[in-house]
Amino acid sequence: MLSFDVRLRRNGFTLEASAVFGNGTTAVFGPSGAGKTTLLSCIAGATEPDEGEITLGRRTLWSSSKRVNTPPEKRRIGYVYQDGALFPHMSARDNLTYGFRLTPPERRRINPEAMIGLLDLGELMDRRPGQLSGGERQRVALARALATSPELLLLDEPMASLDARRRGVAIGYLKRVGQELAIPMVYVSHSVSEVMALASQALLLDRGKVVGLDKPGKMLPQAAAGYDREAEPFENLLDGVIGKRPGQVAVGNVELIAQTGNRKEGEPVILSIRAGEIIVAATPPEALSARNVIPGTIAELSGNSGTVYAAVDVGVPIVVELTEWSADSLRLAPGRSVFLVFKASSIQLLDA
Amino acid sequence: MASDLSIVLLSLRAAALATALLLPVALVVSWLLARRHFPGKFALDVIVTLPLALPPVVIGYALLWAVGGSSPAGRAIQSIFGSAVVFTWVAAALAGAIVALPLAVRAFTLALAQVDPVLEGAARGLGAGPIRVFLTITLPLAGRGLLAGLLLGFVRAFSEFGATIVVAGNIPGETQTAPLAIFTRLSAGDDGGAARLAVISIVIAVIAIAAHNYMLRRTDRSDLHRTPAR
Repeated sequence: MLSFDVRLRRNGFTLEASAVFGNGTTAVFGPSGAGKTTLLSCIAGATEPDEGEITLGRRTLWSSSKRVNTPPEKRRIGYVYQDGALFPHMSARDNLTYGFRLTPPERRRINPEAMIGLLDLGELMDRRPGQLSGGERQRVALARALATSPELLLLDEPMASLDARRRGVAIGYLKRVGQELAIPMVYVSHSVSEVMALASQALLLDRGKVVGLDKPGKMLPQAAAGYDREAEPFENLLDGVIGKRPGQVAVGNVELIAQTGNRKEGEPVILSIRAGEIIVAATPPEALSARNVIPGTIAELSGNSGTVYAAVDVGVPIVVELTEWSADSLRLAPGRSVFLVFKASSIQLLDA
Repeated sequence: MASDLSIVLLSLRAAALATALLLPVALVVSWLLARRHFPGKFALDVIVTLPLALPPVVIGYALLWAVGGSSPAGRAIQSIFGSAVVFTWVAAALAGAIVALPLAVRAFTLALAQVDPVLEGAARGLGAGPIRVFLTITLPLAGRGLLAGLLLGFVRAFSEFGATIVVAGNIPGETQTAPLAIFTRLSAGDDGGAARLAVISIVIAVIAIAAHNYMLRRTDRSDLHRTPAR
């Protein structure tokens, strides 16, 4: 468990944030300039706040009143940088084992060899960072941080440099890490889609202040307020498995139809569905060309200058973007039963 | 009269000691200049650059005053080593170190500034203390640039004349380095002897500068110093 209460003033910017993060994955999100990276930097020990306290489990990492300032190398916190920050003069293997060798044997819980398997790094180990793609660098960086057996993993926009296809893969790896290693993660992102896909709770930051901390679905209303739809359309990212029949994909208990191409039965995938491409129907629609008609219940509604985001529970949460006018005319409200309609071609399948 | 070989060897020895003396100082100063913000940084920069601008004779004079027999430092050296430093080959090395310092500091600062601080921060986060970070990340990544700076410092120390003659004197076989010997031979009308040493000096300088340039060129080409593109 991580708890912090920090104040920091730098060049006209003020960060004033306090929260308690449970285990699991916490997303820190908000518009650029909100102080997300600064907050991470304070937790990791690279930046010293002016005032406050940071504790991890029972250890006080930093406290202005107790005059504690644990140096970064003693915090037992893994940090994954935006571009990986791999050491360019070392092979991927030497990068991976750099921190492991510095970890006292009695604290070693994660073996670098296991990371090679978990993150599919086998073929990359003898290469230099310059010979790796962005996604590969990111995976080596993740493995390098994990190999120190950290008590907390911080990730700073680890997918910012990846294209949509690679992002699906990266989300798959991160989920695997969260599930298999049970290391609490704090994940900085400006992408609502990523937050929805990965986090068990979300902290929304704006201009250095905490707007709220709750389940990602509940945080969407506030998140939508600062969301730039033009720059990045909101996509739902869902875990799925290719089904038996052609085009069939299972997402939890929900069966969807997508263009599965030559993917094989049982193959795990990530489904990307743009929130704007989903139609909401108040009554069961009939005789449609769209192949997916899914019943669900509206869980949350949030508005932002003419646009409404509806979080619909269909077994998994799916966010739909619609105009205020449509939402009003359908009399949408939390608890109301609806049907979500979208074409098979609106689902993009990403490698998990 | 000392042989050409013994003169060149003496010069090389003095220049090597000069390089060894300036290395730790230049490393600390350039690290401060490249990585830290502190009051007095501007002044530090000016002070270490000063030998580049001063007449070397003035540096020799200052050194004579600083480590001569009547100064506290001079007396300390006398009591520890049992002999004075002035008018020895060590004094020649000291003079070389000081005139070469600004060149080494400039080159080192540039080399260290090229190392991405994010990489150093990443190493800290992986459990490495500041000294280990410097040895395993900063030093290897700045390595070629640092080596280039050392070569430049070495060849500058080898060539030193003005400061050396004041603080080390011009004692054949003891403190008479190649530049001093060339001057002495020219004064004595031994043009052939002066020319031989001049040619040797030029060869050494060309080799050192060529190696220096090679190091820096490799720095530009290799991706060693850069983090992957963002």
